[in-house]
Amino acid sequence: MNEEIDEYDIYHQDFTTVSEWEVFIARIEEVLNEWRLSKSSLTKLSGEYTKKWTSKSEEIQFQSNKFILSYHTLERAKSPENSEETDDKSFLLDLHNGIWESTTNFIDDLDGSPFPVSSWYGLKRYIMLCSYSNTPLVDGNLIKLVMSTANIAFANIDCGVPFFVKIREHWQPTYLGFYEDSEHKVSFDTIHLKRISNQCSHLSGLVSLFKSKIASPVALDAVVVSTKFSYELREVDAFAWKKRTQSNEFLSVDGFDVKKLLELPFGSDKNPIHSVLLNAIWPKFRECAIVDSSTFSEIDPLMAPTWTITLKMRDTFNCQLSETINKVMDLLDNNNLLMDTLGLSKSLGLVNPLHKITEAPITISKLVKAAMGQSRHMTDFKGPIADELLMPLLYYVFPDAVEDNTFNYPEQLEVEFKPVDGEQKLCGYVKTSPEDGLVWRVSVTAARLFDAGGLPYLAHLWYEFCQELQYRWEHSILVPGVAEGAPNARTCLLHQKLQLLNCCIRRALEGTGSVPGNSSEDEFFDCSEGENDEQLPWDRPVGRLSRFGDAVMKNGAPLYIPRTQDPAPKTEDQLEEDAELMVRLGDDAKASELRARMMSASLLSDMEAFKAANPGAELCDFVRWYSPRDWKPDGGGALGDRMLLPGNAWAEAWSVARPVPAARQRRLFDETREAEQVLHFLRSRSVSSAAELLLPAILRAGAVKAHEEGVPHGSTTLGGVDTRRTFEIAARELHDAEREACRALCLRTVLGTSEEGKPLDVAGRSRVLGAAGGALPAPARREFTLRVRDCVAPQAMRAALASDMTIIGAFTERVVCL
Amino acid sequence: METIHEHSNNNSIEVEDEMTGDAKWQKDAADQNFDYMFKLLIIGNSSVGKTSFLFRYADDSFTSAFVSTVGIDFKVKTVFRHDKRVKLQIWDTAGQERYRTITTAYYRGAMGFILMYDITNEESFNSVQDWVTQIKTYSWDNAQVILVGNKCDMEEERVVSTERGMQLAEQLGVEFYETSAKENIYVKAVFERLVDIICDKMSESLDSEPAMLAGGARGQRLTEPAQGSSTTNCNC
Repeated sequence: MNEEIDEYDIYHQDFTTVSEWEVFIARIEEVLNEWRLSKSSLTKLSGEYTKKWTSKSEEIQFQSNKFILSYHTLERAKSPENSEETDDKSFLLDLHNGIWESTTNFIDDLDGSPFPVSSWYGLKRYIMLCSYSNTPLVDGNLIKLVMSTANIAFANIDCGVPFFVKIREHWQPTYLGFYEDSEHKVSFDTIHLKRISNQCSHLSGLVSLFKSKIASPVALDAVVVSTKFSYELREVDAFAWKKRTQSNEFLSVDGFDVKKLLELPFGSDKNPIHSVLLNAIWPKFRECAIVDSSTFSEIDPLMAPTWTITLKMRDTFNCQLSETINKVMDLLDNNNLLMDTLGLSKSLGLVNPLHKITEAPITISKLVKAAMGQSRHMTDFKGPIADELLMPLLYYVFPDAVEDNTFNYPEQLEVEFKPVDGEQKLCGYVKTSPEDGLVWRVSVTAARLFDAGGLPYLAHLWYEFCQELQYRWEHSILVPGVAEGAPNARTCLLHQKLQLLNCCIRRALEGTGSVPGNSSEDEFFDCSEGENDEQLPWDRPVGRLSRFGDAVMKNGAPLYIPRTQDPAPKTEDQLEEDAELMVRLGDDAKASELRARMMSASLLSDMEAFKAANPGAELCDFVRWYSPRDWKPDGGGALGDRMLLPGNAWAEAWSVARPVPAARQRRLFDETREAEQVLHFLRSRSVSSAAELLLPAILRAGAVKAHEEGVPHGSTTLGGVDTRRTFEIAARELHDAEREACRALCLRTVLGTSEEGKPLDVAGRSRVLGAAGGALPAPARREFTLRVRDCVAPQAMRAALASDMTIIGAFTERVVCL
Repeated sequence: METIHEHSNNNSIEVEDEMTGDAKWQKDAADQNFDYMFKLLIIGNSSVGKTSFLFRYADDSFTSAFVSTVGIDFKVKTVFRHDKRVKLQIWDTAGQERYRTITTAYYRGAMGFILMYDITNEESFNSVQDWVTQIKTYSWDNAQVILVGNKCDMEEERVVSTERGMQLAEQLGVEFYETSAKENIYVKAVFERLVDIICDKMSESLDSEPAMLAGGARGQRLTEPAQGSSTTNCNC
């Protein structure tokens, strides 16, 4: 006809008057289609399922109401074999099977899906329409309208999944649902009343209600009933709760016992059980087998075939370990100097470093004073912890300060890094230190003191700790309870710092020659001093360690490996600083060269030592030992290509290296500087950073405690997370473990060998009955499940009667169009 | 002092300061527009081609002889992965025995390792197990490793067969590539694969413990949407 007119324009004008309601319907259809929920695109339900629910949802607007349409489905264990035919019948059959099977459960047995309807009706998938959180769907007219909408949308797309609408207030478990195919309609109804109606208060009334809801005739005595009566036992202390006191009584001088301090507290000191729910269950009987009417009841819980127990724990109960840890965790937000707590920052020179010179810190430690018995007359700092308490604590941390101390550290301090038997420990990702080593002791002591006496107590301990370390450095006494060797980055920072301090002390001891059995340096110095000739001949080899196999230098002389300086031991924070510094230089060629120069200190040192040990050596001789792949055997020895590049760091270093044996070189490791730095580092900690130093050992000690208390193992692995976060995760893991341990303990006391939710054995029944005082109170909740298979389908109804009443039912009727 | 103008690197910062350190610092600060940062390490025996491999990847250049690395060095390269900017800080290490102590100190915090041997050098292949032990001892537990047999262009000098490399990789439970920094074979692929493995590992631990990586060290932006990161911090 009018082919010249642009059809596009015409057909995009809407001549119809689409109502909001129609838009609402269309939108639901659109979403359901998008999710492919029509019967033709769904797969059969048969197959294996996991217990995990997956959900998707869409927002839908209708008038001024916002709704959320969601689809929930149980995940399959395997993806279905798609060849199976689906038809109307199979969907309905699946649905009916689910309903029938679910009747062996009770209303409060939930399956983990977001709404209870799946467990009520044995559904593996369902659609849910909810009004948006702050506006419940209570208006009767609106409910009807929404239900009609759902019905139309459902029918239009020939949906294959039951459709539910959440109605009434949010706290009410009320859902209306339906499912339809060409011949049948299944209605899922819920009634929730705040009071129990007379007719529904007993079994016989419920049976007649059930029968009245079923359209088709039911045979006499055909209804099968399950019943669960629940009794709440609140007198839970009858279950002999074992109280374990772990108070701070160690603080009183009389009752002082360091042993009480060694242990971290664990568990709850109050009964964490809120109540014990006893369920008396009759799994299956015919409607006439037991009479329960408004006037007479044969139901006696003592006769119930099955008793199960459900424990309800208090929402909050104190977990002593977690409380101790959390208190320390709270310190992580306190950025004041720890020594400020004692008003000592100034006298320790922490405010202005220059004051350090004029106001010398008090370096004599408490332990020494005690040994000398002169603690009285010295001008002295008096902390909040009384000496009578402080001294045993210090002797516990530094047991080598007294003879015959009961708390000596183990000979071999083992640092356990990885689980040997593959079993994961709690908090295994927190950096550790030797178990029951000094770091553990000082950390646990600090946590307990802080718990008992607050921050001043912690600060006082820290102060004395630093004083003692200072004294040990000044008098070259090794710190006990610390693993040997250079700082181990797998251990916690505090332990690394102490390892470094010990390195310094050891070096200082070597310097004075008071360490027997060691040494290269001594040998050298003795030797040179013994020489009459003051001036060493330039080519006299010194500082040789051993022959390098049978290799010879280019000039034919045997090649010797020199004694060398070890690279300076560093703690992880120092390494981070170094790395940071290198990163800051950037990544261009110039920066690269600068870095090479920075890193060449030890190369130069090694070259000098090599030259001293091998007079007349050339770079190629050095390279032969140091970097064999850059050495070529041509002509008695030659450099590889890379070493021949002009201006390379190796050649440059070689050209400036003088023959100096390691013993005479400038130290790569300046022990005095390093030791002072460690001590200053410890003294100048803020409260938060001191807590950061103490927490790893506290957490690990807590984990050990938890394992001792029977917590099986951890499951968390961690990496790439900052310290603070690690602490939080570890603290949470310990808290969960502690709660779980408390709960497990309660279960054992109440249930004995039986399991929660499983039938009690005879002994268990009599124990529970005994704890309840020989007779049960009135039931707190009664639940009835009624079911029957009539000529159409299985019909089911459940009623839960507590202070309120919930009745849910799934009824199927045949839809006959005449 | 003289004013330093840093025009060379397309960076508009002009620093009027005699301290080059400061200039670099600001440049670094301006360089923060990335979503994640991964620290990677290349390790392996001396002269297997670690530095060449890194230069090929970062600068797409090749020189037959680089100065033997003194201690440790690094390069930065930013790549895009699943619409996220991933800044790779790649540390190149000296392979010589004497440098072990210095280089292992940098293992901590590395999220991935490229463990390299030279297919023309038996000894470098035999050392692989040692290097793995070093990684196990000094690195994070879930650091990811790729085994690389480098110099695969030098077929006539090959002494380690591809099969042996594959076998070893299988035995160690790591992925394996044969590469050539010279001919640019699989260089990029190795880095991309390593980044992918690390990403997978991260989202895996995210699944098992949602809060776990939130607020993590430098990778902390993993869980947050990269809000505004495309517009902020860019001084270019």
